[in-house]
Amino acid sequence: MNSLLLDLSLLFMMVAIIPCVYRVIKGPTIPDRVIAVDAMTTVIVVMLGVYSYVQESVFFMDVALVLAIISFVGTVTISKYLDEGVVL
Amino acid sequence: MITTEIVLEFFSNFILILGLMFVFLGMLGILRLPDVYNRLHATTKIGTLGAFGVMLSILMKVGFTPIGVKAITVGLFLLLTAPVAAHMIGRAAHRHGVDLCDISVIDEYDKTYK
Repeated sequence: MNSLLLDLSLLFMMVAIIPCVYRVIKGPTIPDRVIAVDAMTTVIVVMLGVYSYVQESVFFMDVALVLAIISFVGTVTISKYLDEGVVL
Repeated sequence: MITTEIVLEFFSNFILILGLMFVFLGMLGILRLPDVYNRLHATTKIGTLGAFGVMLSILMKVGFTPIGVKAITVGLFLLLTAPVAAHMIGRAAHRHGVDLCDISVIDEYDKTYK
């Protein structure tokens, strides 16, 4: 029961990447694509967390934390670039 | 003691399903909503409630082991940084000149900074 629920949640999050990829390809403006990449990264972080519990390994959780930090820094950098024209 | 474990397992699965439901609603929003700002409003729910719910569920499953502590660290980090990133990208989109959708009623930020 427990393992079935976690496997189904992993499968569901694999399916949940598809709308983000659709919005990255089709999205009319640049902020659409940034938002879609941000959402896709969050889904991947959640997937890594569940996978770390399924495999009983700590290392996937480190990957999830680093991916979350990189996603935040990338989003802030791109929005500063769109807003002011410079990064720093 | 066995009753406590069963109750904790039940609430853990319940919070996991709640977080997955927020992920589903965010994906529905990113597919169907008409506008950058509406889509931003939908996808921030994945970062805050969905991710934090799933990580809290993992913490309730394993207790305060290294997996659980790192899971709640990732959850709190996403809970803190997702609204900041959403605010910055929304402000940058508005100042970059992305229009609102046709059925929008009012745009108050347009008056404040021009």
